[in-house]
Order: sequence, then structure tokens, then C-alpha cells
Amino acid sequence: MRMPDPDQGIIARRGELAARLRAIVGAQWVLDDEAERRPYRCDGITAYQATPLLVVLPASTAEIQAVLAVCREQGVKIVPRGSGTSLSGGALPLEDGVLLVTSRLCAIVAMDVENRVARVQCGVPNIRISEAARPLGLCYMPDPSSQMISTIGGNVAENSGGVHCLKYGMTSNHVVGLEAVLMSGEVIRLGGGFQGAADGELDLIGLLTGSEGLLAVVTEITVRLVPLPEAARVMSMGFASVEDACRCVGAIIGAGIIPAGLEFMDRKVLNAVASLLREEHDPRTAALLLCELDGTAAEIDALIERVRGLAEQAGAIDIRASRTEEERERIWRSRKLAFSAIGKMCKDYYCTDGTIPRNRLPDILDRMAELSRTYGLDYANCFHAGDGNLHPIIMYDAARPGDLDKAEAFGADVLRACVDMGGVLSGEHGVGVEKRDLMTHQFAPADLRQQQVLKCAFDPEELLNPGKVFPSPCRCAEFGRMHVRGGEMRFPDIPRF
Amino acid sequence: MTAHSPDPIVCRPACADDVADVVRAARSKGQALEVAGNGTRRGLGNPVAAAVRLELGGLGHVHFYEPDDLVIRVDAGVPLAEVERMLAGRGQYLPFEPPCHAALYGGAPARATIGGAIATGLSGPRRFQVGAARDFVLGVDGVNGQGEAFSAGGRTMKNVTGYDLSKLLCGSFGTMAVLTSLTLKVLPAPETERTMLFPSAGLAQDIAALAAILSRPLAVTGAAVVPEGEGMTMAVRLEGSAPGVAEHAGRLDGAGLPAGRVLAAAESRAFWSRVRELDVLGAGTDDLLWRIHVPATGAAGLAAALRRVGLVSSLMLDWGGALMFCAMPAAVSGGLDGAVPHLRALAANAGGRAILLRAPDPIRAAHGAFPAQAPGVRALAARTRRVFDPAGILNPGRTDFLEAAC
Repeated sequence: MRMPDPDQGIIARRGELAARLRAIVGAQWVLDDEAERRPYRCDGITAYQATPLLVVLPASTAEIQAVLAVCREQGVKIVPRGSGTSLSGGALPLEDGVLLVTSRLCAIVAMDVENRVARVQCGVPNIRISEAARPLGLCYMPDPSSQMISTIGGNVAENSGGVHCLKYGMTSNHVVGLEAVLMSGEVIRLGGGFQGAADGELDLIGLLTGSEGLLAVVTEITVRLVPLPEAARVMSMGFASVEDACRCVGAIIGAGIIPAGLEFMDRKVLNAVASLLREEHDPRTAALLLCELDGTAAEIDALIERVRGLAEQAGAIDIRASRTEEERERIWRSRKLAFSAIGKMCKDYYCTDGTIPRNRLPDILDRMAELSRTYGLDYANCFHAGDGNLHPIIMYDAARPGDLDKAEAFGADVLRACVDMGGVLSGEHGVGVEKRDLMTHQFAPADLRQQQVLKCAFDPEELLNPGKVFPSPCRCAEFGRMHVRGGEMRFPDIPRF
Repeated sequence: MTAHSPDPIVCRPACADDVADVVRAARSKGQALEVAGNGTRRGLGNPVAAAVRLELGGLGHVHFYEPDDLVIRVDAGVPLAEVERMLAGRGQYLPFEPPCHAALYGGAPARATIGGAIATGLSGPRRFQVGAARDFVLGVDGVNGQGEAFSAGGRTMKNVTGYDLSKLLCGSFGTMAVLTSLTLKVLPAPETERTMLFPSAGLAQDIAALAAILSRPLAVTGAAVVPEGEGMTMAVRLEGSAPGVAEHAGRLDGAGLPAGRVLAAAESRAFWSRVRELDVLGAGTDDLLWRIHVPATGAAGLAAALRRVGLVSSLMLDWGGALMFCAMPAAVSGGLDGAVPHLRALAANAGGRAILLRAPDPIRAAHGAFPAQAPGVRALAARTRRVFDPAGILNPGRTDFLEAAC
């Protein structure tokens, strides 16, 4: 994984730039000392690290505007960062770039119960929105597993999902308004404080959501709130084979049931969790499905019976359904602890994010088993089965030479297989730097170019989060020239990072 | 009633490769193209002056429909009604309930295409609960203004790989690219539906009652206030399993509302079809039609203001009050050139944006079908279009915001 070569001239001007930025945000909110900058070296992927040129913590949209204007004038790159929980290296710093940390923009601006929206600053942690909405009987539905820490601004940048997005949709389905600062220093406001506020306009909100900080710095977000589901129950269903579990997933969706969540855990995950929770599973269990159903009590009861029937037909050997909220939480605990439990089992692990058409689940699981033998690395599976979003957990030992490379190659092969089966590289973690060089496997050159040219409309100097998502820069200056040449627009000899 | 500019030469390719050829040829000649499906809704958006009309109605291939995977991929020229029929055959549907609206422009509803539904990005009554058209577009294939074919998005339910061009193109009115095929997420259709009708207690009270209902975990997928006889009626639709709908209806009964009239499934379907297609407005064929996005909290005030100054002959609310439709008589007192900006100003005062859904060409040309935007957003949208269509040959002006309107 290569990043653009740092500009030594800019690194030499660190002190001068720090002084300019301190004049905007206040002395204490620019970190230039190496010891202070070092904690920001990586995000949720610790394998990729770089110490940022400076860390800047602005407190308002106006300060961000001023910071971007200085950076643009000085030709300095910017990497926006919320809480740094990205699992794709989206907030990986640049040695010659300013890390713009949004954690001080953390106010809930307004809770509007009549229009059922919340207006919040970008640094507000996801969970705080639902906490503020709960007394009103409402909630913010998208719940990435990082929700205690990850910010809503980061969620917008990555279009985060979560367990409940099978039924309730991703972040982009819940955003009705955005305020963002362009690299030009200009503030734009899109949509507004009610659902439909942006209808009839070009869907720039849809474009910015999931743009991984490459197009603008989102500063304020208005999200839709929905009534808290009245009740929810979760079913835990054990299967003697992975194939049976996959068949059950297809049967549930095929029967017209869209559960609030439908999760898959294999035996390795169950074993890892069992040691933490002392939760017993039938020794024959090869895979476990968790299926959450919500609605009114009567509806849930009816659905549970239907799902039970489908699971039995698919060969389930053990079916349980929560009867109390405590039981529901206990069943979910195994899923929530899965990743940390695996972490205790092995030295290091690497988790990726490919997505496939649901009916190809058995094929991709076979392919993973094959790849595990080829690379000689163990793996476990714990993923969002309902929407075909895989999170294979590849175990390795960073201290063993070559192991990380093998783990990355294993992960990349899984992602390529996902694409070959009609799927995509990323379901919810984003491309970042992690999957950047695989983009050419999913997209033909014309398809990638069609995405990249958008940079010319937002950030033609390519100062915002460069080196992420796309394997080569856009070269907007070239694009301008190519208009003149009419239909002969081509990108020969694309430089690679 | 809508008078169109003299009919252009119609070009109707039968495959996506030919679409690219047509655009490339136009591009090399610097010639503008009007982009349409079957041209049933050409009165939507600003009039386009182009010598050639590129119709996608000849692209009629269904690439795949996988009900168990909740996904369908069709060419842009497949009629919307055909897509809906195909889905209904497997108990599924397009949840965003796309309005057809062809009849409003004198077009044949059966010929309105799925490509047109996505390009205009209109969503029907169920939107406030399940999402808009853009939320169901998983992937698109298209041809940009340079005549280059490209694919965007995918076919999986979750996909955050690269920029979401599918959303950007949905609702872009063919001004960035010519859509050739669409991959859509579909869902199981609810088993049954039921609608409760309540006499209106006045718009402000109705909106407050709907807000209270929509804040509760009820399976409400329709929340409208529509004209009926001399007065108005508040309508609440419930959808789901039969026992679920019955249970939720029972709870609505206990919500402190007066006793309501109940429309069973078939009647309820017919009722919401008339809401979606604006039949309930009872507008005359010469009336102008407005689609106004407004905070529900501002809707009652706006309605009162519009009635007070006599700008509209009838109006209705959808989405719990966040969407207003109204009819403006062509012979409105003071003339349309005054009435159109007047209505827009009142809508803006209420925090809303008024879109001219139907009006004579000269009116839309003079005032713009879409309301003014902040200069920064307008400029950004224009730059975004330009990188897809550098010469501005695709539906030029269709969604422009005129200086005069600002």
C-alpha cells in the first residue's frame, strides 16, 4: 500500500503553518509536538500508520472554513477525522497533511419532535442522537457497531451501516440536510430540516454521503428520527452445517420477511465467545443465525412462529427465542463480543467487508475455506447475512515475518471473489486505503473515471483526503484540457501511488 | 394543455451502444439532445429546446429479476407499469410508490417508463415511511455527455464502494447522463392494507394529529389530508400483516380521534392511487399544478395564506404535511406572471420550496419549474453537471434555476 510521496517542502514549513492555524483556532488546538501528534497515527486499522504534519481541532464551521482557506492558499492537504474508528483507513493521516479533527463540534443543535429530525454537529457520537431522542419516543436508526465512539460526521463520510440496516437502511437513507465546507472555504447548505427538503434538486447529499471525506468537510447534519420500535425479540438458531444456515437466510427473505437484523456466526466465533460468556451451544452446531424481529407483540409472535418453521425446514438443530429484554440482550451479547473474543484467541486479526448477492453465500464461504488452506491462515466468520455483507476475520501474527502480507493477500482474494460473484468490495466500511488498489477489479476504467471527475467540481486541486478510495489521482487540470479535445478523452499512462 | 416547442426529430435507439453513438454524434456536432423515455412527461421540468429528442423507450430488456434476492435490473425504457406488474406477480413492489403523472401531461400512463420514474426521482405517499426513489436505486448504467458508457453502483443491498453515482443520477432529469439501465431494490409487498378516514378538524389540527400518530411505532404508510366534497378529509393508511393492521387500527381508534370511516384493502388501494396521481385535487386540465416541499410545521400557515390571497383553487397535503400539492387556475386574478412568484415567495416564507409540476411552457420558461437555490449550491450543482456533460448537451436547461427567479 503506497501513499503519495510526502512533500518535504511542506513538512519544513510545519512551524509557520502551525502559527497561521493557531491564529484561527487558538494556540492549544493545534498540536505540532511529535508526542502529541503520534496518538493520531492511525484509525481503526492499526496496520497503516503515518504521523500527521499537524493536528488541528477547530470548534466551529467558521473555524473550519478559515482552516481550509489557509490550507488551500498554502497548497496543504487535509485529512478529516471524526473519532478515528474507520476500518478502511479513511482517516489515515498524511505526513505532509493537516489532520482536521472534528471532536469539538459536538453539539446537538436541535431536536425537532414535530418534524421528527435532529440537527447535530459533525463530531457528535452516533449514540448520543438516539439517547437524546429516546425521551421523545424516537430514535436514530443506523447503528454501526462503533456507535458508542464513532461520530455522525464519520458515519456520513462512510455511509455507515450496522446490524439494523437490513430493515432500516444505511446512513444515507436517514440524512435530510447537510452543511459542508468546500475546499474553497465556501459553506454550502443542502436540504433542510424536514424529509423531502432536498427533493427536486440535484442529490448532492446522496453524493456527499459515503464520499469518504474526498469532496467536502461535512460540519452539520440533519437526520430523520423514527419511532422507537415497540418491542423486539431475537431468535438464535443453530445449524449442523454452514449450508443449512445459508439456506435458512434465503428462506426467510424469500418468504417476504425482512428481519430487523439477521446475523451469522460460525463455530470458531461461537467457541471464542463461549469462553467469555460461558454460553453453551449444541456441540453439533456449525453455524448460528441471530434473527431479530420487531413491531408489536402480536406481530412479533406471529413472525417468530413463521421463522421457526422456516428454520426447522432448513434443518435447524436448536432454536431459541428471547422472551424478556434480558434474554434478548444476552443473546445479542455473543454477537457484540465476537470481534473482541476472536482478538483474545489470536495475536492479530484482519477483517474485511465484501458484499455479495445473498444467494451466493455458500459459494463465497467455500472459497474462503479454500483460500485459508492456500495461505495457511485461520479465519472465522461473523457477518450480516441478511444483506450478504461479509466480515471474514483473518487471523495472523504480526510478529511473524510475512504474515501480515499473507493476511492482506487473503483478504484481497476474498474481496476479488466477492466482485466476481456479482458483489462489491465494501458493504459498510468504505474503500479508504485498504481496498483502494482493488477498485480496478470492480470498476472498468470508464466507470472509475466517471466517479473521479467529480473531484474537479468539488476540489480540483485534490487537497482533500488524497490517496484514498481511488488508485490514481484525478488530474483535474488534464480533464479541463480534454474538453477541448472533445470525444478523445483518455487517460494514458495513469500514475499509480 | 401544455404547449410544447415544435416537435424535434425523434431518435429511438434499440440498445445502449446505439445510445452512446447518438450522444457522441451530437457531441461532435455540438448539438443539444432532449432526453426522454417515451416522452409522456415532457411537461415536467423546464422546457428543453433541442432539435433532436433521444427516446429511451426502445430499450426494453429485463436483464434479471431475482425475487429471493430482492433485486431487479431493467432497461430504462421498460414501462413502469410493466415493472410493477412483474413484481406484483411475485408478491413484491417498488416501495417508494412512484407517481406516474403521465395523465397530467396528456400522456398515456401505460407508456411511462421506469427510466423516467428514476430520472425525475419522484416518490409517492409511502415515501416518508420507507424512503424515496433514490433509496432504492442500487446501480445504474448510463452514457455521459461525452458519449461514454459507464456503470455505477451494483446489485447488492449494501454498497459503499466509491461515490454513490446512482443517487446523484436519480432525480437529475437526464441532465448529467442518459440512463440506459437501472438496478433496483424491491421489497415484499405488505399482505394487506386499510385506510381510516377522519373528517378534517382544520389543517393545523390535522397536521398535529398526524405528527402524533407518526411519532408512534405504528405501521402508518400514508398520512394525507385531501379535499372531499366541500371540506377536507384526513386519511391514514396502515399496511402489514392482517393481524398487524388490525392491531394498529385498534390503537388508532384509541388515539382520541373522532370515529373514522374505514376503507378495506381494495378501496384503500384505489384511494391512494387517486392521492398519488393527484386525482383527489380535482384540478381542471388548464390549472397549474404545484408540488411544494415544506416543513409540516409550516404547512397549515402556508395553506391559509394561499387561500387568503386566492392563489389556489384546491390543495392537499401528503407525508403528514411535509408535501403540499395545489392547483392554481390559469385565469388567476392578477395573472400568472404575478401569481407564480407570489406563491413561491409564500412557500419560501413557510420554509418550503415550490416546484411547478405543470404549467404552460412559457410560464415554466419564464419562471423556472424549480425554485431558486442559494448561489453557492446552484454553482456547485452546475459544476457537478459539467464534469458529466462538459458541453451541456443533455437536456439543456431542464433543471436550470433562472436568474430572474432568485
